[in-house]
Amino acid sequence: MSSARWDGRQYPYVYGRELRIAPGLKLHTEAAERIDPITYEVIRHALWNINVEHGVTIMKISGSPICAYGHDFNPCLLDEKGDFVFFGPFLQYLSSATSSAVKWTLEYRSENPGIEEGDIFLTNDPWIGATHQSDVTLIAPVFWDGELFCWVGNTLHQWDLGGTAPGGFNPMAPDVYWEAGCIPPIKIVERGRLRRDLEEEYIRRSRMPELVALDLRAEIAGCHVARERIKQLLARYGAATVKGVMRKLQDDSERAFVRRLETIPDGTWREVGWVEWAHPDDRHVYRNCLTLTKRGDRLIFSNEGTDPQAGTLNCTLVGWRGAIMAMVSAQMLFDQMFVVEGAYRHVEFEVQPGTLTCALFPAAVSAAPALTLLQTIALSGLVISKMLACSNDPELRTEVQSCMGAPMYPIAALNGVNQRGAPYVSFLLDPVGAALAGLSWRDGVDTGGWPWDLQSTMPNVEESEWFYPILYLWRRELPDSGGAGKFRGGNAAELAFIPHGTDRVSLFTATGHCAVPGPGLFGGFPTSTTRYVLVRGTDARELMSAGRVPDRTEALGGTVELVPPKAFHIVQNPNDVFLMSWASAGGYGDPLQRDPEWVAEDYREGRITREWARQAYGVVLDEAGAVVRSETERLRLEMRRQRIGSEPKPQTATDEPEARPLAEGLKLTAGWIRCRYCDHPLASAAENYKLGCVQKRFPLQEANPHILDPKCYIEEDIEWRHYYCPKCGALLQTELARSSDAPLWDLQLDLE
Amino acid sequence: MRSENVLSVSESARSSHAKEEREYYCAVDTGGTFTDCVVRDSEGNVVFAKSPSTPGDFSEGFFAALSVAAERFGLTLTELMARTRVLLHGTTVGTNAMVEMKGARVGLITTRGHGDALLIMRSVGRSAGLPIETLLHVSRHRKPEPIVPRHLIREVSERVDWRGEVVVPLNRDEARRAIEELLQQQVEAIAIAFLWGFVNPVHEREVRHMVQEMAPDLFVTCAHELIAKPGEYERTAATVINCFIGPKTSRYVRRVEERARSLGYRGPLLIMQASGGVAPAEEIVRAPLFTIGSGPAGGLMGSRFLAERVGHSHVIATDMGGTSFDVGLIAEGRPLSASETTLHQYTFFMPRLDIVSIGAGGGSIIWIDELSGAMKVGPESAGADPGPACYGRGNTRPTVTDADLLLGYYNPDFFLGGRLALDREAAHRAMRTVAEPLGLDVLEAADGATRIVEAHMADLIRQMTIQRGYDPRDFVIYAYGGAAGAHAVAYARELGCRTVVIPGGALASTWSAFGILSTDIQHVYEKAELLVAPFEAGRVMELFLELEERARRQLHEEGVPEDCVILQRFAEMKFRLQIHRVEVPVPGGVLTDENMRELEQAFVQKYEALYGRGSAFTAAGMEIGLLRVVALGRIGPRGMKEVALGRARKVAPRWRREVYWRELGQHRRTPIFAGEDVPPGATIEGPAIIELPVTTIVVRPGSVLTVDAYGDFILTLS
Repeated sequence: MSSARWDGRQYPYVYGRELRIAPGLKLHTEAAERIDPITYEVIRHALWNINVEHGVTIMKISGSPICAYGHDFNPCLLDEKGDFVFFGPFLQYLSSATSSAVKWTLEYRSENPGIEEGDIFLTNDPWIGATHQSDVTLIAPVFWDGELFCWVGNTLHQWDLGGTAPGGFNPMAPDVYWEAGCIPPIKIVERGRLRRDLEEEYIRRSRMPELVALDLRAEIAGCHVARERIKQLLARYGAATVKGVMRKLQDDSERAFVRRLETIPDGTWREVGWVEWAHPDDRHVYRNCLTLTKRGDRLIFSNEGTDPQAGTLNCTLVGWRGAIMAMVSAQMLFDQMFVVEGAYRHVEFEVQPGTLTCALFPAAVSAAPALTLLQTIALSGLVISKMLACSNDPELRTEVQSCMGAPMYPIAALNGVNQRGAPYVSFLLDPVGAALAGLSWRDGVDTGGWPWDLQSTMPNVEESEWFYPILYLWRRELPDSGGAGKFRGGNAAELAFIPHGTDRVSLFTATGHCAVPGPGLFGGFPTSTTRYVLVRGTDARELMSAGRVPDRTEALGGTVELVPPKAFHIVQNPNDVFLMSWASAGGYGDPLQRDPEWVAEDYREGRITREWARQAYGVVLDEAGAVVRSETERLRLEMRRQRIGSEPKPQTATDEPEARPLAEGLKLTAGWIRCRYCDHPLASAAENYKLGCVQKRFPLQEANPHILDPKCYIEEDIEWRHYYCPKCGALLQTELARSSDAPLWDLQLDLE
Repeated sequence: MRSENVLSVSESARSSHAKEEREYYCAVDTGGTFTDCVVRDSEGNVVFAKSPSTPGDFSEGFFAALSVAAERFGLTLTELMARTRVLLHGTTVGTNAMVEMKGARVGLITTRGHGDALLIMRSVGRSAGLPIETLLHVSRHRKPEPIVPRHLIREVSERVDWRGEVVVPLNRDEARRAIEELLQQQVEAIAIAFLWGFVNPVHEREVRHMVQEMAPDLFVTCAHELIAKPGEYERTAATVINCFIGPKTSRYVRRVEERARSLGYRGPLLIMQASGGVAPAEEIVRAPLFTIGSGPAGGLMGSRFLAERVGHSHVIATDMGGTSFDVGLIAEGRPLSASETTLHQYTFFMPRLDIVSIGAGGGSIIWIDELSGAMKVGPESAGADPGPACYGRGNTRPTVTDADLLLGYYNPDFFLGGRLALDREAAHRAMRTVAEPLGLDVLEAADGATRIVEAHMADLIRQMTIQRGYDPRDFVIYAYGGAAGAHAVAYARELGCRTVVIPGGALASTWSAFGILSTDIQHVYEKAELLVAPFEAGRVMELFLELEERARRQLHEEGVPEDCVILQRFAEMKFRLQIHRVEVPVPGGVLTDENMRELEQAFVQKYEALYGRGSAFTAAGMEIGLLRVVALGRIGPRGMKEVALGRARKVAPRWRREVYWRELGQHRRTPIFAGEDVPPGATIEGPAIIELPVTTIVVRPGSVLTVDAYGDFILTLS
């Protein structure tokens, strides 16, 4: 480790608080200390709108569906040292890229070729300032009176920048050399002039050079607009005043962040995710560990315990950090207009290099955003939730949420000849429908998108049928898929299509969570799993000509073939139906604590089945869907009895005024972690509470009716563990672990 | 000056009147607080009236406002109604039903396998249309209450593909069962929306026929009759919303119509649509959807009328009332329109004027953000009740109106023409609660609050114009609504605009009703079809003729004579692999290949004008995705009589009072003019204040006011 150079070449770039900048470059640092509250509000609003205008300019000129519908871009405004002022409301995990790119450029480009008025730098290097090579970051310094006043920048996902696979992602790639090239920051615009030589070099390898050139112009125009508008503000209000507003935004956000941290005890919280198939035919799973330690006013995120980098599953530090900060913003800075700098000042990242989440060059990293990066966002949401659950601020505890839906993106890429005789290549965007997790106070949202893309939008079925030679038999929410819990996770959806207007469709797939779901929280059940299925030789066409649209797999006839998480050259013939569903969101809290009336309503509205109501929730519903009270009470008691093998204590406890909540079912009183339902002391505060619980192990498929036997996909034994209060039988926590793993110490308080 | 178009709607209506009798054209616009009425006689005399809205039964306020207007012409309501040629109306009954989610119990029949489209809401329903503060708070995202819950959605076997070919014939047994079940569930309306039903509506029609046989009086809507373009979620949402508000809206419209008839009215009742045109009551009873969000459309159409007369090709039309600030644009003489809207987190297709709204108005509350110590204004509003602190109805938090009063803009004894005495002390007390913690004096706080709200409005306008490809500096600002006159010069200056028009002067507060009076009957016909360049003139022509035939048929059925029919053709074009759709006008008559080449050029030209030079990605190829015919039926005279301009004479102020001017950094004894003392032709230099019965115009230092021949107040900024 000591010989490692964290300069963005083999190792990722890591910066300290002090940057080594060439002495010739003067930074503007004068900031007005006192700004009247009206001028502040006017400038604040103007800065936000400049950033909006920056984004609008990109969308306008680019015209790319990637930014308009995929939101796979984000404009930002950073101060002279590359710390955030504003970051746009689009993909949140991109934040770490621009800031890192600016700092690297200040350190490694201020001497040669120098940073001057009118320059714009471009990079897509995942070890410096991009989440993967397709995301191209542009950063532009804004000068005022010869001093570098601030930076504007943006990131935009590109159609294709070359490499061995169209679109930039090759799941076969053993290393980065198979992928689109990495470009460390280059001065693409020099003193206001676009360098033709560099532009041609940049677009030369692309399969769609004109589009990449157009997007480049869009990104440049965005920077220009933002830069000019900032200069107008500087001319009107003075540099010191505008800088003062920027500092105040950062400082206010920091204060809000620290104030929230002050409500939380010091401690460490952990979560584990499982990543499948490093390459086609792999049949193995890998561990993605995330640990969050809070010490005073600092948060430390660590990837300790994560498996070594492997195949195409890797993510660089830039992506990993962005993934974590996406949820820090969403859960802790929602009222600070996402001024993420307020948090960055108090967050540290301790990484073990050479791992899935801190890959070293030349690992293949282009799939990171769809796979490991996405899963890290889910894990980040979970460790932050575990920490926030310990806050003594009830308002802050309303941000506690279980695992997000679609914690890995199910890529299903289609190609062939379309119904109009033209070749096409694309991948289905339906899974952006994802699902939102169960919260500490209400259910998640069925097909409610992701928490880090605030406006994820699924295409209409008609849109897909218009462009591709397919006919959807159905696209619908999957009842029972949302993780069970006191507050249920959002249901995911399933789609099924047959070829239409073509004789075959070629498919390739890439995803994870086919075998192992995402975790639940505080006794909530896990997510469901991702599934790709080909039903070969179905009767769909005959049924349809006879006036019946088949709307269930069972109605199709034919033979069911599971398509693995990474598969190529799958051919779908005219009578084959392709089915796909994605992982739902996780549940929150013991399902036996759910109000039976809510279960009944879910049943009446087709969100769960009667069987699952009984099995997961212990709720007995009559034919009409009404709760049978007495039977429900009896069944729930019996389930608790079975959990612990003895007569359960009544769950009548209430929190003492001095008790600190630690989780849905845990509290701290007098140095003991206790069950919140029956006051039973589980462990001293210095110990893992799980050791004081009754532990039971279940096969994964019992966690959700939509989970298959993991043996279909992987060799490892992953089990679903329950931790019960030994006295009352409350389900306090669940985990997904290899049978040899010790119970994860996911709540470890620091006691002075 | 242009001559006015005096066109008839129905000859029979004319013959029933005595020749020497004047005829009247009445527009009534129902708002949340007031019902506004503007009546024009056949000679161009215009009167306006305001009456409180009556939420229990809006038709009461409707006729009350008409009565007041009748009085001003020296008529009784019955006399006015008997002599009225055309009665036009803007209503919020449909919008309200949607906003309050109080509508009919609706059942939906849709394609087997796709019943969830409405519930999935393309996922984005969890956050669609949320203001930025809520959008950023993801733990608060949730989908709205379903308009049709899953237990009232029925799927039936049938399938049509993108080409319109029937892949699966309608399964009539399943359809019958679906209808029976929904009737058992006692639905009050049934929506029918099938995948690709707009390309081939055969199944939607068949099911409707079955519903009509089984339940003849039930409200039924087929998706293809409302909207004819791809996007099953937005189309289905439009259909169920039409059903949701249908029964309530039809009852209301029929009630108004019956009452008008009982008063002797014999002409048509025309209802304002969000698209900027009116439609006969019968059409609205069938398609109430098109009235949703029609509130601000009248004002923009009035602006368009005025802009045409004055020769302003680019106008930013701003409407600032008590709770909201609405902005619409007119570019190259045409109001910009949009084809979908989001309400209550539902996104649905409907032709409408492109009007954007923020929560900023006279009632916007001034407060302090505890963490940053910054002053904030809105979006929370004190509304009309209790209203600003100075209304003295119990609100103790300061609002923009309180700030305006404290700065001296408003006359406490002549607010709303003296109908409401303002309590300056109460405003002062309220403002102090914000000023003191911020270390400001009350005046600084009041001035600061107006600066903030004006900056926000300027930022909104800027965003809105830039997003649509325009530069605000190329526009003239029109300002109407009760609170606009006080702030328009300030936000115009922020934007770098040079001219502000307070249209109609005294009419400004009833501008929306006046606007309704200047509209045409309008219907939009669309055909979605993918055509790839080079376009085949014959095919394009064929598609347009189809749409035009439908348009003519409908307008004739509605009694519009042939010489009053105007049909406009448009093509929605885009580059392949790109998202921006640009609406390009297409010439009428026979289309040639030459026309098609010109169409391509016009598209590229407009594209680059909107999205920047070099942004046209011609290498990708061009597509037409949709053809549109806008059909207009001209309905009557518009505008008002021109007044002879007096010599540019000096007008004398009524009195003077202390007003605070931030440009001067101090108070100044400022001349105050009464509206009636400022005739056409008058010129007044700022600083000055003009008090009109329902609005106040603040002529800031560095601006000059003139009055044109129609009574429009024009402010020129230096």
